[in-house]
Amino acid sequence: MLSLILKKSSHRSSLVSPNPCTSTNLIALLFSFLLVDKDSSRRPNSPTSCQKHSILASALSSFLLNTIRNQSGPHLCLSKSRYNSYLNWRGKVLVSGFGVLKRQFGGCHSALLPRFVLSCSSNQGLENLRRFCSFSAREAAKLSTSDGLTVDGIVASKWAIVDESESDWKSHAAAIAQSIQIVKKRLQWRKLIVRLGLLSSELNKPDLWDDPEHAGRISREHGSLMGKMKEVNAFEQELLEHIDMIKLAREEDDIDVESESLKALLQMRINIKEKELEALLSGEHDTCCCYIEVQAGAGGTESMDWAEMVTKMYKLWAERRGYTVTVVDQMPGEIAGIKRATIKVYGEYAYGYAKAEVGVHRLVRISPFDSGKRRHTSFAAVAVIPILGDGFTHVQINESDLRIERFRAGGAGGQHVNTTESAVRIVHVPTGVTATCQNERSQHLNKASAMEVLQSRLDQLEMARREQMNAQHTQSLTNISWGNQIRTYVLHPYRMVKDLRTNYEVYDPDSVLEGELDDFMLSYLSAYLDEDEKKISVSL
Amino acid sequence: MKLGLTRACFGCRPICYTTSLPSSTLNKPQIPIFLRPPAYSATSLDLRKWHEWAKGLAVSVGSSFADADNGPDTNLLCRELNWLLQDSLEDPKHDIRQSNESLMLRTSLDDLYHLWKQRIEQRRPFQYIVGCEHWRDLVLSVQEGVLIPRPETELIVDMAFDEISKNESLGQGLWADMGTGSGALAIGIGRTLGTRGRVIATDLSPVAVSVTTYNVSRYGLQDVIEVKQGSWFEPLKGFEGKFAGIVSNPPYIPSEHIPKLQAEVGRHEPTLALDGGVGGMDYLIHLCSGAATMLRGGGFFMFETNGEEQCKLIIDFMKNELAGRFCNLNAVPDFSDIQRFVTGVRR
Repeated sequence: MLSLILKKSSHRSSLVSPNPCTSTNLIALLFSFLLVDKDSSRRPNSPTSCQKHSILASALSSFLLNTIRNQSGPHLCLSKSRYNSYLNWRGKVLVSGFGVLKRQFGGCHSALLPRFVLSCSSNQGLENLRRFCSFSAREAAKLSTSDGLTVDGIVASKWAIVDESESDWKSHAAAIAQSIQIVKKRLQWRKLIVRLGLLSSELNKPDLWDDPEHAGRISREHGSLMGKMKEVNAFEQELLEHIDMIKLAREEDDIDVESESLKALLQMRINIKEKELEALLSGEHDTCCCYIEVQAGAGGTESMDWAEMVTKMYKLWAERRGYTVTVVDQMPGEIAGIKRATIKVYGEYAYGYAKAEVGVHRLVRISPFDSGKRRHTSFAAVAVIPILGDGFTHVQINESDLRIERFRAGGAGGQHVNTTESAVRIVHVPTGVTATCQNERSQHLNKASAMEVLQSRLDQLEMARREQMNAQHTQSLTNISWGNQIRTYVLHPYRMVKDLRTNYEVYDPDSVLEGELDDFMLSYLSAYLDEDEKKISVSL
Repeated sequence: MKLGLTRACFGCRPICYTTSLPSSTLNKPQIPIFLRPPAYSATSLDLRKWHEWAKGLAVSVGSSFADADNGPDTNLLCRELNWLLQDSLEDPKHDIRQSNESLMLRTSLDDLYHLWKQRIEQRRPFQYIVGCEHWRDLVLSVQEGVLIPRPETELIVDMAFDEISKNESLGQGLWADMGTGSGALAIGIGRTLGTRGRVIATDLSPVAVSVTTYNVSRYGLQDVIEVKQGSWFEPLKGFEGKFAGIVSNPPYIPSEHIPKLQAEVGRHEPTLALDGGVGGMDYLIHLCSGAATMLRGGGFFMFETNGEEQCKLIIDFMKNELAGRFCNLNAVPDFSDIQRFVTGVRR
C-alpha cells in the first residue's frame, strides 16, 4: 500500500509523500482500480461519506474506488507528465485539490482518473463507450478549488485585472476566468450541455447500432462536442489547480512553488486570451478584410469635422493593429472635414473587429467652428463591409447592369481638359447600389477599385437577404441597423467615451480618438455573446 | 495626303522622312521624378515647411481656377501636392509628420519649391511637374511636347480588348496607333495582344517618338511595339491592307477653341497634338480615308473625337464618301456620357 503521510490543516488536507517514486505507484494503483471497476455497478454511490470527513490515508483508496464507480468527477485536466512534476516536486507528493473531497465530491480534481477511464473506454468497445457517454453529460458539474471557488465565482468576485506584467495571481486568475466564460458563451455552453445529454441518452439506447449511419452521426457529433467541452473543462481545471497550488504554497511558505504556479498562471492567461479571441472572432466572415465607411451626419462643418476625426481614429486603430489602410474614397467638406470617406482595411480579422463599430457615433464638445463657443452635438455614421475572399461565393455582376459615370466631370472633356481628377462612380442599376473611388491616380484603377467596393456591397446585401430568410440568424451582427447610436464621445463639459451598448467607458477620449478601440470592440463582441446566451436560456 | 502634309508642318517644314528611332541626344527623354535616384537629403522639418507653404498656395487658389477655365480647385491641388510629395520621397509611404529626421529625396528641396510655384503661378500641368501620368494600370513618362494622355482615352484599350476577346485573330495581327504621343494607346493595346500581335506607333514629333520609345522599353515591349517617326500613314507605306486594328486620339479641337482652352492645356500642351483645324475634323477625316486603305477585311478601327457632332460627321463621311468600305459604324460614349469615340469594321 502507499506510504502516505496525511497532513491536516484547518482548511484542507494535503497528501505528502517522502518518496518521489510514489507517483508511479500511485498511477499503477489507480489503473488497477480502473480494471477492477470494469465489472462493477454503474450506479452512483452516495459520496456523502467522503464529504464531511477529512481524508485519512486509508480513506484514499475508498475514495478512488468511489470515484471510479461513480464516474462523476472525471475532469481531465493535467497531463500525466505535469502531474508527475507535481508529484516529484522536492521529493514530496502534493496532490492538489484533494481537499475538495471534503465538500464536493462531484468536483474532485483527480488528474489521472479520466485519462484512464478514457483509454479503457476506447479500447473496450461499445459497452465502455456507452458508459463513458453516460457520465459525459455530468461533466457540466461545477468545478471548484479546495475552498469552493469556481470559475463563475472568480468572475463574480470582480478581482481587479491588472497588466500581465504584474505578478498578481488574483489578476491572472480573474483574467483567465473571464476568458473561460467568453469561450463558454461562444460555444453556447448551456445549449451544448443539453445537446450532449440528448446525444448521450441516444448513444445509450440498445438499438442504436441497428441504424449504423445514424449511430455514426450521433457518435461523431457527441465526440466533437465532448472534445470542445473537455478543452474548456481542462482550462477550468488547470486554473483551479493553480489557485490551489498557490494557496497551498503560501501556507507552506514555499516561494518556489508559488512563483512556479504564478508563472504557469501567466502562461495560461496568455494562451486562453488567444482562445478567447478565437471565440470572439469566429463568425463566418470575421477573418476577412473590410471597408469602413464614415458619413457625416446633419450639422454642416461641425459634423464633417467629426466624420474626419472618426475616419482618422479608424486609420490609427488599423495601423496599431498592423493592418494596411488605404483611402478608397473621400469627399471633403467645403470648409473643413469630410462629407464621407471609405477606407479599406487590409489584414486578418479586420472585419471581425470592425463590425463592432457599425452605428452612429456621437460627439459632444465646444465647436471650434462656432465663434460663440457653444457646445455642439454632432453625429457620424459608420458602416463596415466585409471583403469576401476567394473562398466565398460572390454575387455575379452583369456588366450590362452597370452604369459607370465620370465623377465631377465638366465641360467638353477629352483633349480640352487637363485634370488629375479621374474619380469614377459605378451604379448597379437593378439594386441602386453605388460605389465611388477617387483615390487612385488613374481612371482605370479608380474604376477597378470602385468595382471591388461595389462587389463587396452587393455581397453584403446578399448576405443580409439570406440571413433574413434564415430566421435563426436574424440577430447577426451584419444586420445591425445603420441608424443605431452606439457610442458617445464627450469632450466637454466632462471627458468620457461611453459605449451605449455595453456601458463600457473610458475617461481619456484622446486615447480612443488615437485608435485605442480594441477594448470597446472586444467588450461589445463579448456582450453580444451574452445576449446570445440569454436567448438560449430563454429558449431552453 | 494633303491633309497629312498640313499637319506635317512641324517647325514650318514638311517632314517626310521616317526613322524608327531618334538618334539625336537633344531628344533624350526626361526621367519622371519617381524613377530618379534618391540623391538629395532633407530634414522632415524642412519638408514639412515646404508642404505647409505649398498647401498655403493651393488654398489661396480656392475655386478661382475652376471658375476661370474649369481648372483645378484647392482640393485637387492638395491631392496633387501629396502625390508630388510621394513621388519625391525615397519611401512614398514615409510619414513626414514624424519628428525631425533626415530623409532622402528624388529631387532637391529647392526644386520642389520651384516646381510647385510653376504649378500654381504658371498653371504648369501636374503631370509635367512629376514627369509622369498614371493611365490605366500604367505609369507613363510625359514631358513638354507630348500630349498628356486623358482618362477618356483609356476606354479605347477596353474596347480593343473586347474586340480581341471576341475575335482572337485580331489579337494576333498588326495594329497601328496613329499619333501616339506618349505611347499610351500602343502600350495599352500591346499588352493585350496575343503572342504574334504587333503594334506600330507613329508620331510626327521627335519628342513624342523618344518619350514613347522610353515608355515602351520601361514596359519591356520593344519586341511588340515599333515606334516610327512621320506624318500619319507615311511611315506605314507597304503595309496597306495589313492592319487588324487602327486606333488614334488625333488632334480634334476646333482651331477656334484653342485660345480659350484651360490654362494647363492651352499654355503648356503641344498645339500640334490638340489643334484639329477649323471644325477640328482635318485629321479625323484623313484617318478615316487612311483606315479604308490600311485595314484588312474584318479589321477594326477606333478614333477619339471631340463629341457627338464629330462622331456624326465621321459616320456620315464613311457612309457616303467611303460607301461600302465599313460596317458596324458606332458612336461610343465616354464615362461623362459624351459621344466620344467612333468605331467600325472594314468590310
